[in-house]
Amino acid sequence: MEAAGPYDRAKALSAFKLGDLTFYWITRISAISVLLILGGIILSLIVGAWPAMKEYGFAFLWTQRWAPSADPPVLGALGPIYGTLITSIIAMLIAIPVGIGIAVFLTELCPQMLRRPIGIAIELLAGIPSIIYGMWGFFVLGPFLANTFQPFMIRIFEGVPVLGAVFAGPPSYLSLFNAALILAIMVLPFITAISVDVFKTVPPVLKEAAYGMGCTTWEVVRSVVIPYTRVGVIGGVMLALGRALGETMAVTFIIGNSFRISSSIFAPGTTISAAIASEFAESDGLHQSGLILLGLLLFVLTFFVLAGARLMLMRLEKKAGK
Amino acid sequence: MTELSVSTTVAGHAPQVPLPEAPPKVTVRNLNFYYGEHHALKNINLTLGTNRVTAFIGPSGCGKSTLLRIFNRMYDLYPGQRAVGQLMLDQTNILDPKLDLNLLRARVGMVFQKPTPFPMTIYENIAFGIRLYEKISKSEMDDRVEKALRGGALWNEVKDKLNASGLSLSGGQQQRLCIARTVAVRPEVILFDEPCSALDPISTAKVEELIQELSEDYTIAIVTHNMQQAARVSDKTAFMYLGELIEFDDTNKIFTSPSDRRTQDYITGRFG
Repeated sequence: MEAAGPYDRAKALSAFKLGDLTFYWITRISAISVLLILGGIILSLIVGAWPAMKEYGFAFLWTQRWAPSADPPVLGALGPIYGTLITSIIAMLIAIPVGIGIAVFLTELCPQMLRRPIGIAIELLAGIPSIIYGMWGFFVLGPFLANTFQPFMIRIFEGVPVLGAVFAGPPSYLSLFNAALILAIMVLPFITAISVDVFKTVPPVLKEAAYGMGCTTWEVVRSVVIPYTRVGVIGGVMLALGRALGETMAVTFIIGNSFRISSSIFAPGTTISAAIASEFAESDGLHQSGLILLGLLLFVLTFFVLAGARLMLMRLEKKAGK
Repeated sequence: MTELSVSTTVAGHAPQVPLPEAPPKVTVRNLNFYYGEHHALKNINLTLGTNRVTAFIGPSGCGKSTLLRIFNRMYDLYPGQRAVGQLMLDQTNILDPKLDLNLLRARVGMVFQKPTPFPMTIYENIAFGIRLYEKISKSEMDDRVEKALRGGALWNEVKDKLNASGLSLSGGQQQRLCIARTVAVRPEVILFDEPCSALDPISTAKVEELIQELSEDYTIAIVTHNMQQAARVSDKTAFMYLGELIEFDDTNKIFTSPSDRRTQDYITGRFG
């Protein structure tokens, strides 16, 4: 140091400046590239879907018939849209209470000894490839449901208005309900893992304060833990919903790929992604353009779901008086 | 040390006239506490007088917070912690394993070191606790909330924003909200665990004043690191050191002529 003469602070600083600038631009370009890629995907979807949009217009949205080999081909997205929404809604109805329930058990009630094994099992559940869920659903869960649960529900609700139509026979290996159940199992780890993580961020003293008022565990969870962490929990639910809406492989295996809409959740159906996956390889021309348009619709659907979630969060925060 | 803990009545040579002895509200006899293997409290004997303020002082780790957390069985939340001995709240054995903890905690409220407003509105922060025990109409609830906030010396500051989040208040206001919330469920005993350690001097003065007012209706135990605070707010002071109760006497006596050498060293700042 002494040999190098007086320490030139200005020079050292300018070297830092260059580093700072480089770092600034690297991070900036990374961030901007996300926007570019997103825009590019939307653009190419629109270009690919254009022939179908021109041919069918908005009627695409409410046409149920899907006959790509007719002359001219008739394509309507109502069946896949319906199937996507129904399977996702049922899946979330099952997965949200179960997932949050598991998280509450793991953080508040579970004996220390069981915590790690259950936590690891749930993380492993998230790591199973979806094709394996598909095979399991096809060979194990589907037959099981068709032989036990479905006949049971059909018998119970026979003749009941509305519900009788929702749970109408015949039992089937391939159905909307089976797909929804598989989806629920697949998204469960997301909800649980994120809920556990955010539940752990609740300051112990806040929980003690609630227990100190004489709250039961249930009251502490409902009035303190969940309100304190609701942003995180809803984030987890949205991640799960995003996955449920877009999940392809497992659903394609077990949903039956029928474009007909049935009031019964035990009837076969299809989802947007399942329709694309099962038909894209042997499609061309207008048919292929229609499938791309389906993809664009899924994109838009997901966007609106996420926007709706944001809106809900904002309203929640307003209600809590933030 | 036991002769010290029972010598509470002979405070004759304190400069001021000692308070008359109050009937005991909480009685502690031969209380021991363990964190797993660690013996944290050794043979504690003392009583909290009804409507008196009892301060617990001592260096960090002496067990004063631990003792406080036994009074409402807060330690029960954590496995491996246990208390042995006798601890009575009036005629109720606090250490009875079959005791309903929710009811105990309704009778023994607690205010913590850090303000702990619940993630809800100011109004709901108060109403929440009341609703746990009582079913009352909206107008009655409004009254109770106002009364509690007045009791917490907070009403004038928040009456126009009862629907704002409890988290939007300043630290001192949050702490008074927590006190109001505790008072709202009408406990018999209130435990303060270093209630002012996160507050500025003005908020501290307000909280201290509040504690004095509350002592007309409640039996109060306060843990503090601030000896002036103990001297200002309390009637009785307990000095603890290394898990033992060294001296327990009228506050005046402890701060003017302590009987034990270690108490004297501590209050004169020679250690701790």
